Amino acid sequence: MNKIIDLKGSILSLTVLKLYSNDIEQTKQALSDKINQAPDFFVGIPVVLEPQVDNLDPTFLALMVEFLHQKQMLPIGIRTQDETLKEHANYAGLAVFGEESQVKKRPQQQESKECAEAPSLKTALVVQNAVRSGQQVYAKDRDLIVLGSVNPGAEVIADGNVHVYGTIRGKVFAGSQGETSARIFAQKLDPELVCIAGLYQLAEDIEPAHKNGFIEVSLRNDQLNFKLLD
Amino acid sequence: MSRVVVVTSGKGGVGKTTTSASFSTGLALKGYKVAVIDFDVGLRNLDLIMGCERRVVYDFVNVVQGEATLQQALIKDKRVDNLYILAASQTRDKDALTQEGVERVIEELKEAGFDYIVCDSPAGIEKGAQLALYFADEALIVTNPEVSSVRDSDRILGILQAKSKRAESGEGPIVEHLVLTRYNPARVETGEMLSVEDVIDLLSVNLLGAIPESEDVLNASNAGSPVIMEEKSQAAQAYKDIVDRFLGEEIEHRFLTAEKKGLFQKLFGK
Repeated sequence: MNKIIDLKGSILSLTVLKLYSNDIEQTKQALSDKINQAPDFFVGIPVVLEPQVDNLDPTFLALMVEFLHQKQMLPIGIRTQDETLKEHANYAGLAVFGEESQVKKRPQQQESKECAEAPSLKTALVVQNAVRSGQQVYAKDRDLIVLGSVNPGAEVIADGNVHVYGTIRGKVFAGSQGETSARIFAQKLDPELVCIAGLYQLAEDIEPAHKNGFIEVSLRNDQLNFKLLD
Repeated sequence: MSRVVVVTSGKGGVGKTTTSASFSTGLALKGYKVAVIDFDVGLRNLDLIMGCERRVVYDFVNVVQGEATLQQALIKDKRVDNLYILAASQTRDKDALTQEGVERVIEELKEAGFDYIVCDSPAGIEKGAQLALYFADEALIVTNPEVSSVRDSDRILGILQAKSKRAESGEGPIVEHLVLTRYNPARVETGEMLSVEDVIDLLSVNLLGAIPESEDVLNASNAGSPVIMEEKSQAAQAYKDIVDRFLGEEIEHRFLTAEKKGLFQKLFGK
Protein backbone atom coordinates (compact mmCIF):
# COMPACT_ATOMS: atom_id res chain seq x y z
CA MET A 1 0.00 0.00 0.00
CA ASN A 2 1.42 3.27 -1.10
CA LYS A 3 1.48 6.05 1.42
CA ILE A 4 0.47 9.47 0.30
CA ILE A 5 1.98 11.24 3.22
CA ASP A 6 3.93 10.42 6.35
CA LEU A 7 4.35 12.73 9.32
CA LYS A 8 7.55 12.18 11.21
CA GLY A 9 9.53 14.14 13.72
CA SER A 10 13.03 14.96 12.67
CA ILE A 11 15.89 17.03 13.94
CA LEU A 12 17.22 19.34 11.22
CA SER A 13 20.18 21.61 11.26
CA LEU A 14 19.17 25.24 10.62
CA THR A 15 21.03 28.53 10.47
CA VAL A 16 20.19 30.78 13.39
CA LEU A 17 20.43 34.55 12.92
CA LYS A 18 21.02 36.14 16.28
CA LEU A 19 19.95 39.77 16.52
CA TYR A 20 21.75 41.94 19.03
CA SER A 21 20.31 45.27 17.96
CA ASN A 22 16.76 46.62 17.82
CA ASP A 23 17.72 49.16 15.15
CA ILE A 24 16.44 47.77 11.83
CA GLU A 25 18.71 49.90 9.62
CA GLN A 26 21.81 48.96 11.56
CA THR A 27 20.86 45.27 11.41
CA LYS A 28 20.17 45.42 7.68
CA GLN A 29 23.57 47.04 7.10
CA ALA A 30 25.43 44.43 9.14
CA LEU A 31 23.63 41.61 7.34
CA SER A 32 24.41 43.11 3.92
CA ASP A 33 28.06 43.34 4.83
CA LYS A 34 28.04 39.71 5.88
CA ILE A 35 26.30 38.51 2.72
CA ASN A 36 28.63 40.52 0.48
CA GLN A 37 31.56 38.48 1.78
CA ALA A 38 30.08 35.31 0.26
CA PRO A 39 26.93 36.13 -1.72
CA ASP A 40 26.35 32.60 -3.10
CA PHE A 41 26.53 30.91 0.26
CA PHE A 42 23.40 32.55 1.62
CA VAL A 43 21.11 31.95 -1.35
CA GLY A 44 18.09 29.80 -0.50
CA ILE A 45 19.13 28.88 3.02
CA PRO A 46 16.42 28.58 5.70
CA VAL A 47 16.97 30.94 8.62
CA VAL A 48 15.61 31.09 12.15
CA LEU A 49 15.69 34.47 13.84
CA GLU A 50 16.73 34.71 17.45
CA PRO A 51 16.38 38.22 18.89
CA GLN A 52 18.68 38.73 21.87
CA VAL A 53 17.31 42.21 22.65
CA ASP A 54 14.11 43.50 24.20
CA ASN A 55 11.76 46.23 23.02
CA LEU A 56 11.76 45.29 19.35
CA ASP A 57 9.63 47.59 17.22
CA PRO A 58 6.36 45.82 16.18
CA THR A 59 7.36 46.25 12.52
CA PHE A 60 10.91 44.96 13.05
CA LEU A 61 10.16 41.31 12.33
CA ALA A 62 8.08 42.04 9.22
CA LEU A 63 10.79 44.35 7.83
CA MET A 64 13.45 41.78 8.62
CA VAL A 65 11.52 39.00 6.83
CA GLU A 66 11.09 41.22 3.78
CA PHE A 67 14.80 42.11 3.76
CA LEU A 68 15.85 38.42 4.03
CA HIS A 69 13.59 37.54 1.09
CA GLN A 70 15.26 40.32 -0.90
CA LYS A 71 18.60 38.74 -0.12
CA GLN A 72 17.16 35.38 -1.36
CA MET A 73 17.18 33.79 2.09
CA LEU A 74 14.18 31.89 3.54
CA PRO A 75 13.16 33.05 7.05
CA ILE A 76 11.08 30.18 8.45
CA GLY A 77 10.77 30.90 12.13
CA ILE A 78 11.78 32.62 15.30
CA ARG A 79 13.21 31.26 18.51
CA THR A 80 12.04 33.16 21.57
CA GLN A 81 10.31 32.91 24.95
CA ASP A 82 8.90 36.45 24.72
CA GLU A 83 5.10 36.40 24.41
CA THR A 84 4.91 39.69 22.44
CA LEU A 85 7.53 38.48 19.98
CA LYS A 86 5.57 35.25 19.50
CA GLU A 87 2.57 37.40 18.58
CA HIS A 88 4.64 39.44 16.14
CA ALA A 89 5.94 36.19 14.64
CA ASN A 90 2.39 35.12 14.05
CA TYR A 91 1.72 38.27 11.97
CA ALA A 92 4.99 37.89 10.09
CA GLY A 93 4.15 34.28 9.22
CA LEU A 94 7.04 32.81 11.19
CA ALA A 95 7.05 29.53 13.12
CA VAL A 96 7.91 29.75 16.82
CA PHE A 97 10.66 27.56 18.25
CA GLY A 98 11.44 27.15 21.94
CA GLU A 99 14.52 28.83 23.26
CA GLU A 100 17.78 26.99 22.75
CA SER A 101 18.86 26.64 26.34
CA GLN A 102 15.44 25.38 27.37
CA VAL A 103 15.26 22.80 24.62
CA LYS A 104 18.62 21.37 25.44
CA LYS A 105 18.64 21.51 29.20
CA ARG A 106 15.21 20.17 30.00
CA PRO A 107 15.77 16.58 28.94
CA GLN A 108 19.06 16.51 30.82
CA GLN A 109 17.43 17.65 34.01
CA GLN A 110 14.68 15.10 33.63
CA GLU A 111 17.21 12.36 33.06
CA SER A 112 19.14 13.13 36.19
CA LYS A 113 15.94 13.32 38.20
CA GLU A 114 14.89 9.94 36.94
CA CYS A 115 18.22 8.51 38.00
CA ALA A 116 17.71 9.75 41.51
CA GLU A 117 14.12 8.63 41.80
CA ALA A 118 14.35 5.21 40.23
CA PRO A 119 15.60 2.45 42.52
CA SER A 120 19.28 2.60 41.72
CA LEU A 121 21.16 -0.67 41.27
CA LYS A 122 23.40 -1.03 44.28
CA THR A 123 25.04 -4.29 45.16
CA ALA A 124 24.34 -5.77 48.56
CA LEU A 125 26.44 -4.91 51.59
CA VAL A 126 28.36 -8.06 52.52
CA VAL A 127 29.57 -8.76 56.06
CA GLN A 128 32.14 -11.57 56.10
CA ASN A 129 32.09 -12.40 59.81
CA ALA A 130 29.61 -12.70 62.61
CA VAL A 131 27.87 -9.52 63.72
CA ARG A 132 28.62 -9.42 67.43
CA SER A 133 26.80 -8.16 70.50
CA GLY A 134 26.72 -4.36 70.51
CA GLN A 135 27.48 -4.07 66.81
CA GLN A 136 25.03 -2.56 64.36
CA VAL A 137 25.14 -2.93 60.59
CA TYR A 138 22.98 -0.79 58.31
CA ALA A 139 22.70 -1.38 54.58
CA LYS A 140 21.26 1.87 53.23
CA ASP A 141 19.21 1.59 50.03
CA ARG A 142 20.44 -1.94 49.49
CA ASP A 143 20.36 -5.56 50.56
CA LEU A 144 22.46 -6.96 53.36
CA ILE A 145 24.27 -10.29 53.30
CA VAL A 146 25.83 -11.63 56.50
CA LEU A 147 28.01 -14.69 56.02
CA GLY A 148 28.32 -15.38 59.76
CA SER A 149 25.73 -15.27 62.50
CA VAL A 150 23.94 -12.28 64.01
CA ASN A 151 24.61 -12.75 67.71
CA PRO A 152 22.39 -11.73 70.66
CA GLY A 153 22.57 -7.99 71.26
CA ALA A 154 23.54 -7.25 67.66
CA GLU A 155 21.35 -5.45 65.11
CA VAL A 156 21.27 -5.85 61.35
CA ILE A 157 19.23 -3.38 59.33
CA ALA A 158 18.67 -3.08 55.59
CA ASP A 159 16.45 -0.92 53.40
CA GLY A 160 16.24 -3.98 51.17
CA ASN A 161 16.32 -7.70 51.98
CA VAL A 162 18.43 -9.33 54.67
CA HIS A 163 20.21 -12.63 54.04
CA VAL A 164 22.01 -14.38 56.89
CA TYR A 165 23.97 -17.55 56.26
CA GLY A 166 24.41 -18.21 59.97
CA THR A 167 21.86 -17.99 62.77
CA ILE A 168 20.00 -14.78 63.61
CA ARG A 169 19.96 -14.42 67.38
CA GLY A 170 19.92 -10.61 67.57
CA LYS A 171 17.54 -8.10 66.02
CA VAL A 172 16.85 -8.04 62.32
CA PHE A 173 15.13 -5.29 60.30
CA ALA A 174 14.35 -5.51 56.58
CA GLY A 175 12.72 -2.76 54.52
CA SER A 176 13.57 -0.24 57.20
CA GLN A 177 12.48 2.68 54.97
CA GLY A 178 9.07 1.09 54.57
CA GLU A 179 9.62 -1.30 51.67
CA THR A 180 6.89 -3.87 52.31
CA SER A 181 8.18 -6.33 49.74
CA ALA A 182 11.47 -6.73 51.62
CA ARG A 183 12.19 -10.18 52.97
CA ILE A 184 14.46 -11.89 55.46
CA PHE A 185 16.26 -15.15 54.76
CA ALA A 186 18.18 -17.02 57.43
CA GLN A 187 19.85 -20.38 57.82
CA LYS A 188 18.29 -20.39 61.27
CA LEU A 189 16.13 -17.80 62.96
CA ASP A 190 16.05 -17.43 66.73
CA PRO A 191 15.95 -13.64 66.98
CA GLU A 192 15.26 -11.16 69.72
CA LEU A 193 13.12 -9.26 67.26
CA VAL A 194 12.23 -9.59 63.60
CA CYS A 195 10.85 -6.60 61.69
CA ILE A 196 9.83 -5.85 58.12
CA ALA A 197 8.76 -2.33 57.12
CA GLY A 198 7.98 -1.44 60.72
CA LEU A 199 5.88 -4.52 61.55
CA TYR A 200 7.66 -6.61 64.14
CA GLN A 201 7.44 -9.71 66.28
CA LEU A 202 9.37 -10.55 69.43
CA ALA A 203 11.05 -13.86 70.12
CA GLU A 204 8.23 -15.20 72.26
CA ASP A 205 5.64 -14.59 69.54
CA ILE A 206 7.53 -16.70 67.02
CA GLU A 207 6.46 -20.32 66.86
CA PRO A 208 9.19 -22.75 67.97
CA ALA A 209 8.68 -24.67 64.73
CA HIS A 210 9.96 -21.66 62.82
CA LYS A 211 13.15 -21.48 64.84
CA ASN A 212 14.73 -24.49 63.21
CA GLY A 213 15.81 -24.63 59.60
CA PHE A 214 16.26 -22.35 56.65
CA ILE A 215 13.49 -19.78 56.74
CA GLU A 216 12.02 -16.92 54.77
CA VAL A 217 10.12 -14.10 56.44
CA SER A 218 7.92 -11.85 54.35
CA LEU A 219 5.05 -9.45 54.88
CA ARG A 220 1.57 -10.60 53.89
CA ASN A 221 -1.61 -8.66 54.71
CA ASP A 222 0.27 -6.59 57.28
CA GLN A 223 1.43 -9.72 59.07
CA LEU A 224 4.81 -11.37 59.21
CA ASN A 225 4.69 -14.64 57.33
CA PHE A 226 7.21 -17.36 58.24
CA LYS A 227 7.95 -20.06 55.71
CA LEU A 228 10.42 -22.91 56.11
CA LEU A 229 12.28 -23.47 52.88
CA ASP A 230 13.76 -26.91 53.40
CA MET B 1 59.62 -11.36 67.25
CA SER B 2 57.62 -10.29 70.27
CA ARG B 3 53.95 -11.16 70.44
CA VAL B 4 51.48 -9.17 72.50
CA VAL B 5 48.70 -11.37 73.94
CA VAL B 6 45.68 -9.86 75.66
CA VAL B 7 43.65 -11.92 78.13
CA THR B 8 40.17 -10.44 78.11
CA SER B 9 36.51 -11.34 78.65
CA GLY B 10 34.22 -8.36 79.04
CA LYS B 11 32.61 -9.88 82.12
CA GLY B 12 34.33 -9.80 85.49
CA GLY B 13 35.15 -12.78 87.68
CA VAL B 14 35.43 -15.33 84.88
CA GLY B 15 39.13 -16.08 85.38
CA LYS B 16 41.11 -13.53 83.38
CA THR B 17 43.78 -12.99 86.01
CA THR B 18 43.98 -16.71 86.88
CA THR B 19 44.42 -17.45 83.18
CA SER B 20 46.99 -14.64 82.73
CA ALA B 21 49.04 -15.95 85.64
CA SER B 22 49.01 -19.60 84.56
CA PHE B 23 49.40 -18.87 80.86
CA SER B 24 52.40 -16.57 81.31
CA THR B 25 53.98 -18.99 83.81
CA GLY B 26 53.40 -21.85 81.34
CA LEU B 27 55.08 -19.91 78.52
CA ALA B 28 58.03 -19.07 80.77
CA LEU B 29 58.34 -22.74 81.80
CA LYS B 30 58.72 -23.51 78.08
CA GLY B 31 61.77 -21.25 78.04
CA TYR B 32 60.27 -18.07 76.61
CA LYS B 33 60.96 -14.67 78.10
CA VAL B 34 57.59 -13.41 79.29
CA ALA B 35 56.28 -10.18 80.79
CA VAL B 36 52.78 -10.09 82.25
CA ILE B 37 51.16 -6.69 82.75
CA ASP B 38 48.22 -6.02 85.07
CA PHE B 39 46.00 -3.43 83.33
CA ASP B 40 43.43 -3.46 86.14
CA VAL B 41 44.57 -0.17 87.66
CA GLY B 42 42.80 0.50 90.93
CA LEU B 43 41.78 -3.14 91.47
CA ARG B 44 45.08 -4.90 91.15
CA ASN B 45 45.00 -8.68 91.62
CA LEU B 46 47.68 -10.21 89.47
CA ASP B 47 50.46 -9.58 91.98
CA LEU B 48 48.41 -11.45 94.63
CA ILE B 49 47.85 -14.47 92.42
CA MET B 50 51.50 -14.47 91.37
CA GLY B 51 52.52 -14.10 95.02
CA CYS B 52 54.62 -10.97 94.59
CA GLU B 53 52.38 -8.37 96.25
CA ARG B 54 55.01 -7.59 98.90
CA ARG B 55 57.67 -6.88 96.32
CA VAL B 56 55.88 -4.14 94.40
CA VAL B 57 57.88 -0.89 94.63
CA TYR B 58 57.05 0.77 91.34
CA ASP B 59 54.08 -0.18 89.19
CA PHE B 60 52.77 0.07 85.63
CA VAL B 61 51.32 3.57 86.16
CA ASN B 62 54.68 4.86 87.44
CA VAL B 63 56.31 3.66 84.24
CA VAL B 64 53.55 5.00 81.98
CA GLN B 65 53.82 8.39 83.66
CA GLY B 66 57.62 8.39 83.53
CA GLU B 67 58.11 8.29 87.30
CA ALA B 68 60.13 5.06 87.15
CA THR B 69 62.01 3.07 84.55
CA LEU B 70 60.78 -0.25 83.24
CA GLN B 71 63.73 -2.05 84.87
CA GLN B 72 62.77 -0.61 88.26
CA ALA B 73 59.14 -1.70 87.94
CA LEU B 74 59.52 -5.20 86.47
CA ILE B 75 59.30 -7.80 89.23
CA LYS B 76 61.19 -11.02 88.56
CA ASP B 77 59.23 -14.15 89.44
CA LYS B 78 60.85 -16.23 92.18
CA ARG B 79 59.68 -19.63 90.93
CA VAL B 80 60.17 -19.41 87.18
CA ASP B 81 63.06 -17.94 85.22
CA ASN B 82 62.32 -15.52 82.39
CA LEU B 83 59.02 -14.43 83.94
CA TYR B 84 58.49 -10.80 84.90
CA ILE B 85 55.45 -9.07 86.34
CA LEU B 86 54.42 -5.47 85.90
CA ALA B 87 51.92 -4.79 88.67
CA ALA B 88 49.02 -2.35 88.49
CA SER B 89 48.70 0.60 90.82
CA GLN B 90 46.16 0.23 93.58
CA THR B 91 45.94 3.91 94.39
CA ARG B 92 45.22 5.34 90.94
CA ASP B 93 42.39 4.82 88.50
CA LYS B 94 42.31 3.80 84.86
CA ASP B 95 42.55 7.39 83.62
CA ALA B 96 46.18 7.28 84.74
CA LEU B 97 46.91 5.14 81.66
CA THR B 98 47.45 6.83 78.31
CA GLN B 99 47.68 5.20 74.93
CA GLU B 100 51.09 6.79 74.25
CA GLY B 101 52.38 5.66 77.65
CA VAL B 102 51.17 2.09 77.16
CA GLU B 103 52.65 2.00 73.68
CA ARG B 104 56.01 3.19 75.00
CA VAL B 105 56.07 0.49 77.70
CA ILE B 106 55.17 -2.24 75.19
CA GLU B 107 57.83 -1.01 72.75
CA GLU B 108 60.43 -1.00 75.53
CA LEU B 109 59.49 -4.56 76.48
CA LYS B 110 59.85 -5.64 72.86
CA GLU B 111 63.27 -3.99 72.66
CA ALA B 112 64.27 -5.70 75.91
CA GLY B 113 63.82 -9.02 74.09
CA PHE B 114 60.61 -10.34 75.62
CA ASP B 115 59.06 -13.10 73.49
CA TYR B 116 55.57 -12.72 74.90
CA ILE B 117 53.92 -9.72 76.51
CA VAL B 118 50.73 -10.85 78.24
CA CYS B 119 48.22 -8.11 79.02
CA ASP B 120 45.75 -8.95 81.79
CA SER B 121 42.70 -6.85 80.92
CA PRO B 122 40.28 -5.40 83.46
CA ALA B 123 36.60 -6.32 83.17
CA GLY B 124 34.27 -4.10 81.20
CA ILE B 125 34.64 -2.46 77.82
CA GLU B 126 35.84 0.96 78.93
CA LYS B 127 39.21 2.65 78.65
CA GLY B 128 41.25 0.18 80.69
CA ALA B 129 39.99 -2.82 78.73
CA GLN B 130 40.38 -1.00 75.41
CA LEU B 131 43.97 -0.02 76.20
CA ALA B 132 44.80 -3.60 77.23
CA LEU B 133 43.65 -4.99 73.89
CA TYR B 134 44.70 -2.09 71.64
CA PHE B 135 48.25 -3.30 70.90
CA ALA B 136 47.45 -7.03 70.90
CA ASP B 137 48.51 -9.51 68.21
CA GLU B 138 46.60 -12.38 69.79
CA ALA B 139 43.75 -12.59 72.27
CA LEU B 140 42.63 -15.18 74.79
CA ILE B 141 38.89 -14.77 75.29
CA VAL B 142 38.10 -16.12 78.74
CA THR B 143 34.50 -17.28 78.99
CA ASN B 144 32.41 -19.18 81.51
CA PRO B 145 29.83 -21.57 80.09
CA GLU B 146 26.84 -19.37 80.86
CA VAL B 147 24.88 -16.92 78.72
CA SER B 148 25.87 -13.58 80.24
CA SER B 149 29.57 -14.39 80.06
CA VAL B 150 29.21 -15.57 76.46
CA ARG B 151 27.34 -12.42 75.50
CA ASP B 152 30.02 -10.19 77.06
CA SER B 153 32.74 -12.17 75.28
CA ASP B 154 30.87 -11.63 72.04
CA ARG B 155 30.88 -7.90 72.74
CA ILE B 156 34.61 -7.82 73.46
CA LEU B 157 35.28 -9.81 70.26
CA GLY B 158 33.48 -7.08 68.34
CA ILE B 159 35.71 -4.48 70.00
CA LEU B 160 38.84 -6.54 69.20
CA GLN B 161 37.79 -6.53 65.57
CA ALA B 162 36.98 -2.82 65.46
CA LYS B 163 39.02 -0.85 67.97
CA SER B 164 42.43 -2.49 68.06
CA LYS B 165 45.57 -1.10 66.48
CA ARG B 166 45.57 -4.00 64.02
CA ALA B 167 41.99 -3.22 62.97
CA GLU B 168 42.69 0.50 62.61
CA SER B 169 45.94 0.12 60.69
CA GLY B 170 44.58 -2.60 58.41
CA GLU B 171 47.16 -5.19 59.46
CA GLY B 172 45.97 -8.78 59.79
CA PRO B 173 43.28 -9.29 62.41
CA ILE B 174 44.04 -10.23 66.01
CA VAL B 175 44.26 -14.03 66.36
CA GLU B 176 41.41 -15.04 68.68
CA HIS B 177 41.49 -18.04 71.04
CA LEU B 178 38.65 -19.21 73.26
CA VAL B 179 39.47 -20.29 76.81
CA LEU B 180 36.49 -21.83 78.56
CA THR B 181 36.94 -21.68 82.34
CA ARG B 182 35.01 -23.25 85.23
CA TYR B 183 33.83 -25.96 82.89
CA ASN B 184 31.83 -28.66 84.65
CA PRO B 185 30.96 -31.56 82.30
CA ALA B 186 28.55 -33.07 84.79
CA ARG B 187 26.52 -29.86 84.93
CA VAL B 188 26.64 -29.56 81.16
CA GLU B 189 25.07 -33.01 80.89
CA THR B 190 22.21 -32.03 83.18
CA GLY B 191 21.69 -28.89 81.11
CA GLU B 192 22.71 -26.45 83.84
CA MET B 193 25.65 -25.16 81.81
CA LEU B 194 26.24 -24.39 78.17
CA SER B 195 28.30 -27.03 76.39
CA VAL B 196 31.58 -26.35 74.59
CA GLU B 197 29.74 -26.78 71.31
CA ASP B 198 27.09 -24.22 72.29
CA VAL B 199 29.72 -21.63 73.20
CA ILE B 200 31.78 -22.21 70.03
CA ASP B 201 28.60 -22.04 67.97
CA LEU B 202 27.70 -18.70 69.54
CA LEU B 203 31.12 -17.09 69.40
CA SER B 204 32.60 -18.78 66.31
CA VAL B 205 36.10 -18.71 67.80
CA ASN B 206 38.54 -21.65 67.92
CA LEU B 207 38.72 -23.37 71.29
CA LEU B 208 42.18 -23.18 72.80
CA GLY B 209 41.10 -25.22 75.79
CA ALA B 210 38.58 -25.76 78.56
CA ILE B 211 39.63 -25.50 82.20
CA PRO B 212 37.59 -27.82 84.41
CA GLU B 213 35.98 -26.28 87.47
CA SER B 214 38.29 -27.11 90.35
CA GLU B 215 38.82 -26.05 93.93
CA ASP B 216 42.54 -26.13 93.18
CA VAL B 217 42.13 -22.80 91.38
CA LEU B 218 40.88 -20.99 94.49
CA ASN B 219 43.42 -22.71 96.72
CA ALA B 220 46.26 -21.76 94.41
CA SER B 221 45.08 -18.13 94.24
CA ASN B 222 44.91 -17.94 98.03
CA ALA B 223 48.40 -19.39 98.23
CA GLY B 224 49.74 -16.83 95.78
CA SER B 225 50.87 -19.38 93.22
CA PRO B 226 49.54 -19.82 89.68
CA VAL B 227 47.44 -22.98 89.49
CA ILE B 228 49.57 -24.32 86.63
CA MET B 229 52.30 -25.01 89.22
CA GLU B 230 50.05 -27.59 90.97
CA GLU B 231 51.34 -30.62 89.07
CA LYS B 232 48.49 -32.97 90.00
CA SER B 233 45.61 -30.63 89.40
CA GLN B 234 43.35 -31.10 86.37
CA ALA B 235 43.21 -27.33 85.98
CA ALA B 236 47.00 -27.25 85.74
CA GLN B 237 46.96 -30.02 83.14
CA ALA B 238 44.38 -28.08 81.16
CA TYR B 239 46.44 -24.86 81.32
CA LYS B 240 49.54 -26.75 80.16
CA ASP B 241 47.53 -28.08 77.21
CA ILE B 242 46.47 -24.52 76.45
CA VAL B 243 50.07 -23.32 76.40
CA ASP B 244 51.10 -26.21 74.15
CA ARG B 245 48.22 -25.57 71.74
CA PHE B 246 48.99 -21.86 71.73
CA LEU B 247 52.56 -22.70 70.70
CA GLY B 248 51.25 -24.75 67.80
CA GLU B 249 51.12 -28.30 69.12
CA GLU B 250 48.09 -30.41 68.29
CA ILE B 251 46.73 -31.92 71.45
CA GLU B 252 43.38 -33.57 71.85
CA HIS B 253 40.96 -31.69 74.08
CA ARG B 254 40.31 -33.30 77.45
CA PHE B 255 38.20 -32.64 80.53
CA LEU B 256 35.22 -32.06 78.25
CA THR B 257 33.12 -35.03 79.30
CA ALA B 258 32.20 -36.47 82.66
CA GLU B 259 33.56 -39.93 81.69
CA LYS B 260 37.05 -38.63 81.07
CA LYS B 261 36.96 -36.78 84.31
CA GLY B 262 36.23 -40.08 86.02
CA LEU B 263 39.28 -41.60 84.40
CA PHE B 264 41.48 -38.82 85.69
CA GLN B 265 39.98 -39.08 89.12
CA LYS B 266 41.14 -42.68 89.14
CA LEU B 267 44.55 -41.82 87.78
CA PHE B 268 45.26 -39.09 90.30
CA GLY B 269 43.55 -40.83 93.15
CA LYS B 270 41.09 -38.05 93.79
